[in-house]
Amino acid sequence: MLTIDDIHVAVNGKEIIKGLTLAIRPGETHAVMGPNGSGKSTLSYFLAGREGYELTAGRVLFRGEDVAGLSPDQRVARGMFLAMQYPVEIPGVATMTFLRTALNAQRRARGEKELDASSFLKLVRKHAAELNISDDMLKRPLNAGFSGGEKKRLEILQMTLFAPLFAVLDETDSGLDIDALKLVADGVNRMKSPERSLLVITHYQRLLSHIVPDHVHVLAGGRIVKSGGKELALELEARGYDHIIKAAA
Amino acid sequence: MGEFYSIAITNNFQQADTGTKMIHLGRNTRSRIIAKGISAGQSQSTYRGLVSVHPKADGARNFTQCDSLLVGKKCGAHTVPYIESRNPTARVEHEATTSRISDDQLFYCLARGIPAEEAVTLIVNGFCRDVLQQLPMEFAVEAQKLVGISLEGSVG
Ligand SMILES: Nc1ncnc2c1ncn2[C@@H]1O[C@H](COP(=O)(O)OP(=O)(O)OP(=O)(O)O)[C@@H](O)[C@H]1O
Ligand SMILES: [Mg+2]
Repeated sequence: MLTIDDIHVAVNGKEIIKGLTLAIRPGETHAVMGPNGSGKSTLSYFLAGREGYELTAGRVLFRGEDVAGLSPDQRVARGMFLAMQYPVEIPGVATMTFLRTALNAQRRARGEKELDASSFLKLVRKHAAELNISDDMLKRPLNAGFSGGEKKRLEILQMTLFAPLFAVLDETDSGLDIDALKLVADGVNRMKSPERSLLVITHYQRLLSHIVPDHVHVLAGGRIVKSGGKELALELEARGYDHIIKAAA
Repeated sequence: MGEFYSIAITNNFQQADTGTKMIHLGRNTRSRIIAKGISAGQSQSTYRGLVSVHPKADGARNFTQCDSLLVGKKCGAHTVPYIESRNPTARVEHEATTSRISDDQLFYCLARGIPAEEAVTLIVNGFCRDVLQQLPMEFAVEAQKLVGISLEGSVG
């Protein structure tokens, strides 16, 4: 699904990712954990194709295709998605309008027919209900005045609505209360399928007891310093990063 | 109640000087101006608004909201309010804001599959919402399309 081959990524001329290799096969869930500032969000922005995140060495293949020349919107149309750590507000643009514009732009890019207003409404309401997102929230401007947890729920709504093949969740669990965490995890788990893969970035084992990863990686200083199974997350929680990073050094 | 709503868009190398005059002649007259200005490319736009209150206009009230949105880093927006009050009981308020479409907003749209030009149109239409809302549905739809056309070529 996704092959990350010894990449180096610089932001503003500063190297942040320093030789990272990771292969994600269809159906797999990978978790990435790591201290603040280790480069987790940088990796997620880079994979999404954000301007200014410069690949200085290595390459990334998505379903066999080198993504280097693809703009963020082209990546989305091919089935990539990033749920952001800090979702952005867009004043005056109703959430519903935003979602419809986005979904239809993706469909257009894939040569599919756009959804008309009523089929879209039906679809979005179905997904919103599963995440306990009200119509009232969908009428409000995108993320404007949304609570931290509401913003994260809306990221997951977009994920389930767009049904990507590969999704990165960047700290989707931070800011969620216990019930919301359960809703979000259930939403993510419903999406899981043998064709879909996930990269879950988190600081907490709690999320990983709901969304169970096949592989856990520890990112430190722009590199993966250790990989293991789901038990690695438990070990991290019990003993902290320092211990693992020192042992790996 | 006098009302004036406007949207002015400049693009490329345009220089625009737009504005309105609101003249209060009678007692307890009220007026509201909402002016939205969007500057893209290397354009410069200026809003000039005159609010004039004549001596007999006791208790006259005006509220002016003037918002500018910059698309890109090479454009500018200027607001010049002219207030002539010849009646001490008049209340004239002028509020002005200037904001820029941020890289974060643009990236967020792109990361949801919306191409750059469509993203700018969407954000600009959101910015104009208070004004577009005043129009009947059919006109609002046309006006939104016009916003898109006026901004063509504004993102590289
Ligand atoms: N635009 C930028 N210019 C310069 N340095 C940057 C920029 N963006 C990120 N960095 C730096 O890159 C490093 C990695 O940041 P990143 O946001 O990827 O960390 P993170 O692992 O997601 O941390 P957190 O757990 O706090 O979310 C940090 O040292 C940060 O200061
Ligand atoms: Mg981060």
